[in-house]
Amino acid sequence: MKQSLIFRNAWLFVALIVLLAYPQFQKNQYYQHVMIMTMMAAVLSSSWNILGGYAGYTSLGHAAFFGLGGYLVALAHNRYGWHPFVSTWFLAIIVTGVALILGWISLRTQGSAFVVVTIAMVFIFRLLALNLSGITNGARGLTQPRPGWGDVPWSPEFIKVPFHYIMLVLLCLTVFVSWRIRQSKFGLGLIAIREDEGKAEAVGINTMLYKVLAFGFSAYFVGVAGGIYSYFFTYIDPQFIFDVFTGVTMVLIALLGGRGTLWGPVLGAFIMEPLGNWIIGEFGGTQIHLTVFGGILLGVMLFMPQGILPTITNVIQQRAKARAAQVQS
Amino acid sequence: MLSVQNVSKAFGGIKAVDGGSLEVKKGTVTGLIGPNGSGKTTLFNIITGFYPPDSGEILFNNQPIQKLLPSQICHRGIGRTFQITRLFWKMTVLENMIVPVRHTGWRTLFSQGVKKIEEEHAMELLDMVGLTKFRDDEAQKMSFGQQKLLEFAAILMSDPELILLDEPAGGVNPVMIEKIMTLVDDLNRQGKTFLVVEHNMRLVMELCQHIVVLDHGQKIAEGEPAAIQNNPLVLEAYLGSEHHAGA
Repeated sequence: MKQSLIFRNAWLFVALIVLLAYPQFQKNQYYQHVMIMTMMAAVLSSSWNILGGYAGYTSLGHAAFFGLGGYLVALAHNRYGWHPFVSTWFLAIIVTGVALILGWISLRTQGSAFVVVTIAMVFIFRLLALNLSGITNGARGLTQPRPGWGDVPWSPEFIKVPFHYIMLVLLCLTVFVSWRIRQSKFGLGLIAIREDEGKAEAVGINTMLYKVLAFGFSAYFVGVAGGIYSYFFTYIDPQFIFDVFTGVTMVLIALLGGRGTLWGPVLGAFIMEPLGNWIIGEFGGTQIHLTVFGGILLGVMLFMPQGILPTITNVIQQRAKARAAQVQS
Repeated sequence: MLSVQNVSKAFGGIKAVDGGSLEVKKGTVTGLIGPNGSGKTTLFNIITGFYPPDSGEILFNNQPIQKLLPSQICHRGIGRTFQITRLFWKMTVLENMIVPVRHTGWRTLFSQGVKKIEEEHAMELLDMVGLTKFRDDEAQKMSFGQQKLLEFAAILMSDPELILLDEPAGGVNPVMIEKIMTLVDDLNRQGKTFLVVEHNMRLVMELCQHIVVLDHGQKIAEGEPAAIQNNPLVLEAYLGSEHHAGA
């Protein structure tokens, strides 16, 4: 039993070792950059999955929390000198607080109405960032000092390495929390809400509380990622960071890998992000990567509507059942 | 145990329940009957918090519950089934059993989803309704009758004092109806209280000690099964005045 558990999770240890060693054997800055962005995409999509996958509430507004995290970290860094690698974990609690309030309001709606309300959140935050120029510097955006520790900036050769590791820590934490939620009564309740919200309420689940909590959890990690992202690029502006497409990407990645599963969003991110970067690298900064994504998603929706991971899992399980039946007969 | 007092509910200009009242005594099986559209299911939905009543009061164990959420009403000890069976279709049979476990507080919220003790209790109940071998199957893969039994067994997981059954025999074959009747009878003997909406008169007359009849959202009669069977108002509501006069 224990051996089987170790064997089943061996791939996870291998993947972790590869990710830990990655900056040591991959010195090319472009590939280091792609890996950081891939892990960030996995964080965003896994985080979104807590609400959108487990509870079945499709939010396209998580870019609001991403941007809010980015602005809070940039402001704290510029005004008070708080290092983003430390402050982002705490400032994301404010993001969670905002998300809990917004969730309490928006989660009274369902289906397409909820989607529209969440999109509106992004535009509201973008307008605020544009117009509260005394705080946010308006359309000119915020610039942060070159990443480093104390007054010493990191060298160009080293600069991506700390971001790699902090993003890896964030990814591990996000996946762990997502797994813990999935295993808990809270997670079971969220899935019950996705299946039949009225029935869930009838059997004693306080659906509003569960949904709002899920909204808060999913906003936290998105907020942390937003903070790291703003430091990584050292510049943010409202148009750039409060982008609806960021929210759409979280959803698409989850759909591709397997919405509502633990590893689906991670798998989706490790397919979509490198592919997108490769296409942009090959064909330039056109919109062709979006066309390819559209094609892939269309294919997935047609042939694997549950996403890649659940489809593969089902095939493996069916084959195992068939084999067991053959042995019995 | 349950006291519904002058409850009304209108949808636009239609009065679904119009001053409906009923009493359910502890340890009894009470039947709620009436022709289609008489407001039985609406009254169920009001009692369980799905619809707020426009007026009237609902007392459960002498406490008003008409302003509570369905989940809070469930925590007070009222469980229900639905007219059209509602399950968590893509969840397994065992998960369907575990979800309704009454849990409060933050620690239990983030505790293990399926605890050993809950699993054992769920298996006992599944054994009672004959569904143990389906424990790992998705609920949607079971037959209609089995789904009814699962819905019934699942509400027992939260150990409700009062169980509301909305047409438990609806669309179910005679063998399964017998099984459901036996289950209700056994549980009633163990102290559970039932309020049952049902069109199957054999089930109502054999199981219920007390019957309340609704028509056009109003209570038109109540009493013991034998009295209800011969009540002219009830016969008129079901058969119409001409048929009744002819009979």
